[in-house]
Amino acid sequence: MEKIRTGINRLTEGFSYLETNVYKYRIILYAGGLSLSMLLPVFGFSQYMTRIFIMIGIYTMLALGLNILTGYTGLVSLGHGGFFAIGAYTTAILMLRFQMNFLIAVMIAMVFTGICGLLLGLPTLRLTGTYLSIVTLGFGEIVRMVIMNFDTVTNGTLGIRNIPRPSFFGFELTLANHGLFYLMLVLLILVTYVCIGIQNSNMGRTLRAIKADELAAVMMGIRSSRYKVGAFVVSAVLTGLAGGYYASLVSYIDHNSFTFDVSIMILSIVILGGMGTIRGMFLGAAILVAFPEVARPLMEWRFVVYGLVLILMMRFKPQGLLGWRSRLPYKIPVLKRSQTYREEKEANRRGR
Amino acid sequence: MILQQIFNGLSLGMAYALIAVGYSLVFGILRLVNFSHGAVYAFGAHAVIFFIGYHFGLIPAILLGVLLTGALGVLIDRVALYPLRKKKSPGISSLITTIGISYIIQNLLMMGFGSEKKPFPKLFDNRIVHILGARISTMQIIMFVTSVILLAILTFLIKGTKIGLAMRAVEQNEKNAGLMGINTNFIIAFTFFLGGISAAIASVLISGYYEILYPTMGFMVGLKAFAAAVLGGIGVLHGAIVGGLVIGVSEGLAATWFGSQYRDSVAFIILIIVLIVRPAGLFGRKGIEKV
Amino acid sequence: MRKILSVLLITVVIVSLLGGCSSSNKKDSGNGPIKIAVAFPMTGDNAEYGKSFLLAAQIKVDEWNANGGVLGRNIELVNYDDKNSGEEAASIAQKIVSNPEIIGVLGHFSSGVSMVAAPTYEENKVIEISNTASHPDYSSIGKYIFRNNSVISSEFKVIEDIITNDLSLTKVGIVAIKTDWGTTAGAIAADMIKNNPGLELVAQEEVLEGSDDYSLAIAKLQEAGAEVVISVGMYSLIAPLAKQYKAVDPDIQVIGLSNAYAQQLIELGGEAVEGIIFPVSFYADSDEEAVKQFVTAYVEEFGSEPSALAAQAYDSIGILLEAVKQNGSLDKETLRDTLNSITYQGITGETKFDEIGDATKEYTKLIVKDGKFVRYNGKAAQ
Repeated sequence: MEKIRTGINRLTEGFSYLETNVYKYRIILYAGGLSLSMLLPVFGFSQYMTRIFIMIGIYTMLALGLNILTGYTGLVSLGHGGFFAIGAYTTAILMLRFQMNFLIAVMIAMVFTGICGLLLGLPTLRLTGTYLSIVTLGFGEIVRMVIMNFDTVTNGTLGIRNIPRPSFFGFELTLANHGLFYLMLVLLILVTYVCIGIQNSNMGRTLRAIKADELAAVMMGIRSSRYKVGAFVVSAVLTGLAGGYYASLVSYIDHNSFTFDVSIMILSIVILGGMGTIRGMFLGAAILVAFPEVARPLMEWRFVVYGLVLILMMRFKPQGLLGWRSRLPYKIPVLKRSQTYREEKEANRRGR
Repeated sequence: MILQQIFNGLSLGMAYALIAVGYSLVFGILRLVNFSHGAVYAFGAHAVIFFIGYHFGLIPAILLGVLLTGALGVLIDRVALYPLRKKKSPGISSLITTIGISYIIQNLLMMGFGSEKKPFPKLFDNRIVHILGARISTMQIIMFVTSVILLAILTFLIKGTKIGLAMRAVEQNEKNAGLMGINTNFIIAFTFFLGGISAAIASVLISGYYEILYPTMGFMVGLKAFAAAVLGGIGVLHGAIVGGLVIGVSEGLAATWFGSQYRDSVAFIILIIVLIVRPAGLFGRKGIEKV
Repeated sequence: MRKILSVLLITVVIVSLLGGCSSSNKKDSGNGPIKIAVAFPMTGDNAEYGKSFLLAAQIKVDEWNANGGVLGRNIELVNYDDKNSGEEAASIAQKIVSNPEIIGVLGHFSSGVSMVAAPTYEENKVIEISNTASHPDYSSIGKYIFRNNSVISSEFKVIEDIITNDLSLTKVGIVAIKTDWGTTAGAIAADMIKNNPGLELVAQEEVLEGSDDYSLAIAKLQEAGAEVVISVGMYSLIAPLAKQYKAVDPDIQVIGLSNAYAQQLIELGGEAVEGIIFPVSFYADSDEEAVKQFVTAYVEEFGSEPSALAAQAYDSIGILLEAVKQNGSLDKETLRDTLNSITYQGITGETKFDEIGDATKEYTKLIVKDGKFVRYNGKAAQ
């Protein structure tokens, strides 16, 4: 047990050390990583490998979405499969029934998922901790029930099939021409960019303040409920985007694609990677999505191993694999208000 | 018809109540949502069927199975949750850990016993009793009586014995309880033992009623029982029973008015409404907020 | 912002340079074993089915290999676990089609999962035969997609015959499991009853998976005065349903579908399943030599008798190999045409694929009597 602990600790210390040293070259690193992933299909990967990379991308997006809620704000959702389903179904229905272009359908789906997030977030404001998790769990199950029973719209248990692939100007994106892969990459970069933006924005800091100590945050004049609902909506929107892309990728969706297991999988990625980090989501998704593929020979044992991974992580590294405290100097954001405050002070002094 | 459905709902609710007691017990002491409870419940029935397979006879097999399941509860606590408590990990770590445990138990059961639905021996001779024109089977009555007795015993244990006093002390303040000379780890392990036992009793009764068992039997019923526990006020034992009955009856009514396929959604819709209107549940006290 | 733009620009240039490249494919070596993929849930809720189908398929392959294989090459099964999840099945399908040695796929278990995977097989001209999928649209997904499962409407014709002629009952209730299969089959059953002036549909209930309590649905059926209940589900639905229904109404006649034909039905249902009638295309106690041979081999390995679905898995492999033999080569397009044209005499009767790829079958009626499945010849003969 001790050995496992020190092993894991040493590993993350190494990562953290790497971070400090690599930070200077981050632009090169990001560009390198990006071009490498862009070149991935060129290495002659089979469609199977491409598919796995796409699934990793989808789950990274889902985890980034949940991360805003769980990682920054500290609200644990056990029902993100529900938002995933809403995004997927809305996109599928819009594309099939109204012959909409993928982009427009996905955008409407994102708005709709956001509204659902708002509807779930508003009444649950007063709930905290466990109770909120339970409501989200119930939400996820209810979404599934609605899908199963609302036959006229969702086609019930038969699911929706023949969902068209996204196409732009008559050019259809498929797995074979790697179009879907690049679309995933573009969406992933977009989502990551949004997440970085939120993290460094006023909102991100507020959310982290709420997570650290909601009472203190409220005392500082933060309207915590407003921000919590905001986190809900943003999280739902990003999850809806991933759902829309997923529908178009698999071209067949039914209620079984969005079970409680999916919600737990997303949460596990967030936890494994490291709550509140962005890099962690990539690693977490890569590990948990690739694990069943790599561990296929283990067959029956792989779910047991999956459970063991969760338990061991919680025991030895609850902050996640990449969840170390950053050693980089924290840039204190310059706020407009503080500027005016300084000017005022200056003026006062001069005036004296 | 309505009356019959209400009776059916009540017996269904009794099953939820029996499982919900286990959730409530652990939550009451530890403030932990024990997600592995559904899997432990499935384990109970499989342990009993295992012992029956080795010709232990029905009653000894049930006793052994129930004790083994209790031991499993203690094992879960010692191996997975105790280290987290020692480290003062946030509540979500324990939650995720119990989810991991439920994955492990469920899949080990599948490997050991196969995923098919297997017959479970009939516990009592089932007769139909007519009350006010509605049919009730003797098994339903036995289930009702057993869960009330179980509840009474548990309530007595917590309210009337020394170990129960210690449990309540741990519930209020674990650190201070320790300072007062209470072996808190033993008390928590004991709570898990009780949780395991109550899960096993529930699974024996319910499997005996439907004469069926399989590794994933605890999933949906576990979620609904969980909803029942929350509805009654999680942590409150009699609340779990009332919550179970309310959910059972509303399922019965939903099936009558809308159709059987709307059964499952009812539990969750009620759950959400109750939580929004009265987050602590029907009988819960205020101020419970930990993950 | 400028940095990000420049990075984007660079990558766009790189991509446009390399966009035209495509991945290379391995070629079939031509002398190794011929491979057939078997993709079913091997873990999870439905692992029992996957394991039994794999075994049935293996028995057939062993038979062929003992006789020298096909086209002078040995046959090998490649086993995949799709966990009955669409997501898994989709990646498995990709894995299968990227292996040129695999000529065909037996799978997947549920219609929904099969339909996620089917377009991939169709695109890559790999034959998929499902012995379980029953969604009406499944086999029309493509030319390479086949189904060796009974088409439900023809099965219901037999049931109609049982109810009107053998049993002379009129008031029919339906209990269907709420899955893709149960919903469609239930709707077809309801249509059949409505179109028959001699029958009356008194109630139709859908029940969800994951609960073993059917008392709520039963109370409604009984209130409506059902005399006969068609149970649309696997053995795991019929056994508890019959048990709980007979507790409140001992005279109820329960009718099942061929998918419910499994030894577990009797193990699980005990006395309550006595008298249940259903149509089957495969009967394990049949006198035919081929059936006996399969059943003995199966029982030896598995411990219990094969279900109708396992027999269909066995026959599906048989049809595919027969088609390969008659075709004389592994050319995908001609193999497909051969498969569509042959009539195969298997243990589930004579099987022939029609134009869209559905198998036509013949049925016998079975009844549960004294804990055994026996042939049913109508009420008069009892």
